[in-house]
Amino acid sequence: MDVTRIGIPAAPTPDAAAGSSAGGAPGQASFGQVLKDSLAQVNHLQHEADGAIHELASGGTATLHDTMLTIEKAELSFRLMMQVRNKIVEAYQEVLRMQV
Amino acid sequence: MDFTGTLAISGSALSAERLRLDVIASNLANASTTRTPEGGPYRRRNVVFEAEPLEGEFGETLASLTEQGARQGVAVTDVVEDHAPPRMVFDPNHPDANADGYVAYPNVDAMSETIDLMAATRAYEANVQVVNATRQMAQAALGIGG
Repeated sequence: MDVTRIGIPAAPTPDAAAGSSAGGAPGQASFGQVLKDSLAQVNHLQHEADGAIHELASGGTATLHDTMLTIEKAELSFRLMMQVRNKIVEAYQEVLRMQV
Repeated sequence: MDFTGTLAISGSALSAERLRLDVIASNLANASTTRTPEGGPYRRRNVVFEAEPLEGEFGETLASLTEQGARQGVAVTDVVEDHAPPRMVFDPNHPDANADGYVAYPNVDAMSETIDLMAATRAYEANVQVVNATRQMAQAALGIGG
């Protein structure tokens, strides 16, 4: 894993999008970009679950099991995001403890 | 995520079983209905399930054909009427009695509807079990290396 690129999502700079061209092969998304995209997807799923609950509670057309499945999806993706975050923080701390 | 496909399959089955439950509920609710908009007694209805290949939700993955063939959801594609003859009951005082004094009651058998109800309930539970198993597998996968 390229640890140096972890800094990109923490401090989004205007050239974050251009980071793909800077980081190796053209057309290949940088690690930060991938992370950002998956974060956006997790967020989207959370919003979807929120909307499903709202729809169900307000007597809309949503069914009970579809709502539960949407919540389940949101939860699983959130857990995945948390695991990725844990790994990144772990790697960061590993680097921090490095002797110089 | 690949687990969403599994959830979608189970979700389609849950939706289908719910519709089946609605049909059984209609049959039982109308077990003695002698009048319908189409005329005549209520006719027992039944659902037709059809396998439905699952289309990729989050963009087409590069799944092989075998993998795509393995993902078959289910959908209720038709609700058909049972054409069994109606139950004739002798009741000359009934407003819907025919010239001979017989009333045509729906061809709904409460006992077989109840059995269908149990089957639908069990099938629903089985699919919920699949969802729970999917969740457990996903959580086990997230525990890798932890």
